[in-house]
Amino acid sequence: MHVVPVAAIADEELAARAATGDAGAFEALVGRHEARVYRLAHRLTGSDADARDVLQDTFLAAYRSLASFRGAARFSTWLYRIATNAALMHRRAWRRRPTESLEEFLPQFDETGQHAPEVAELQAASRADVVLDGKLLAAEARAALERLPDLYREAFVLRDLEEMDTSEVAGLLDIDAATVRQRVHRARLMLRGYLSHLVGAKT
Amino acid sequence: MPNLTCRDGVEMLMDYLEGTLGSPEREAIETHVSGCPRCAAFVESYQRTPRILRAATAEALPADLALSLRRFLAARRAEDA
Repeated sequence: MHVVPVAAIADEELAARAATGDAGAFEALVGRHEARVYRLAHRLTGSDADARDVLQDTFLAAYRSLASFRGAARFSTWLYRIATNAALMHRRAWRRRPTESLEEFLPQFDETGQHAPEVAELQAASRADVVLDGKLLAAEARAALERLPDLYREAFVLRDLEEMDTSEVAGLLDIDAATVRQRVHRARLMLRGYLSHLVGAKT
Repeated sequence: MPNLTCRDGVEMLMDYLEGTLGSPEREAIETHVSGCPRCAAFVESYQRTPRILRAATAEALPADLALSLRRFLAARRAEDA
């Protein structure tokens, strides 16, 4: 009998097997996707403790709703939708505090629409390219993401950090593609200004 | 599209990079940026921003978590059974 190695079986096939009670198939799906789900959850919630909870919630919810996964979408899209919703719910439940505005870090223009004079040319070398402690950089990045308005953070994390297609992000967040682009753009502008010392931009 | 300002260009930058602009707008941006060092620098830092954040927030799965996740799921499965 020819046995197909698990690694060669598509997610959707494993999901179908898992739905019939094949624990090994579900294990294989967990193994394939746990690192990315954790990373996504960490980026959306900003903490290890929250990301752990979201990881558990995601796979438990996926396990319990395998029967409703019909294979119309890719398994990964279906799973990341569960993870994104779990992360956003977690955030809303535990992190109700006002976000400081990043508006002041948006680019400045003069009355004729030209870059304001203080917007200088790119610095010769940005600090991130020199030597910057990795932990410090991670802490700064997390703090910057935390300061984004929720709607911008969600779109930015999915589109720019997880590198999903704009249309996939639109589907996940139930908004249209133009809205995704607008939110991601605003997030990039704010983060660029806020992290100007890292990205080589003077605001 | 004559007389594109830096502000106009910044406003359309994401759409430009995503390829969703029509050719008049696209050409206007390219013409402006090629003659505006500040905008050229802006585009560079704008594109660098997600790259830096992506690298800085790529958290690896903690070593203990894979095992604890499996224990958690096995326990819930046993409860459900």
